[in-house]
Amino acid sequence: MSSTASGSRSGQRLYRIGEVARRTGFSVDTLRYYERIGLLRPVNRAQSGVRLYGEAELSRLRFIQRAKAMHFSLDEIGRLLEMREDPQHARDEVRELTRRKLAEVEASLTALASLRDELTLLVNLCHGSEGGCPIIRDLDGEG
Amino acid sequence: MNLQVELFTVPGCATCGQAIAVLERALADPALAAAVSWRRVDVVAELDRAVGLGILATPAIVIGDELVFTGVPAVASLRLALQARLPGAGAGTRERGT
Repeated sequence: MSSTASGSRSGQRLYRIGEVARRTGFSVDTLRYYERIGLLRPVNRAQSGVRLYGEAELSRLRFIQRAKAMHFSLDEIGRLLEMREDPQHARDEVRELTRRKLAEVEASLTALASLRDELTLLVNLCHGSEGGCPIIRDLDGEG
Repeated sequence: MNLQVELFTVPGCATCGQAIAVLERALADPALAAAVSWRRVDVVAELDRAVGLGILATPAIVIGDELVFTGVPAVASLRLALQARLPGAGAGTRERGT
């Protein structure tokens, strides 16, 4: 049996939980848990009772994935999803949280850019040097 | 006050010696020699500073805290870059090298 349901919602493709797990990297248990705690809205179900996820749920899950990569808590992610769902009517507290998280992301980008530049420099130094990689040898020597 | 030039190099760098030679030839100009002081910086020793200046490869030439050349510039280009940054030189003549 295909893991993709044959059903559709307003003509969009719908996915069974196993397919969503494969596409997002979340486990089936995690997907059920996210629904239970409200990070995912209750998903549609086929007549057989099988959960069916649409593109909106996948988009939400991708957002959760990115936010988790930034080490946001599930509670924070839930409130950010509230903002994402209806930015015009988000509560002030949620707007403030969104601003704070934006600042955290920007700080991470700055740190990552610096790390990227440093690694680029190291790679270029090794590439442009004669007889191997003097940088790595010197750094090893510090230990 | 002298214009400070820093030449970022690394031991074993194939073209860093050429960059030093170019810098020395540029500073053979007596007017520049009098106004410019330079030092060689080992990137390994000052990695944070190098990254902060935007250096992504060596050799790199920094003039007054500004990364101006990466690689080995032509003597004439380096002279022009130095002259443009001397105290009293017009800022409009500055041109960033690569």
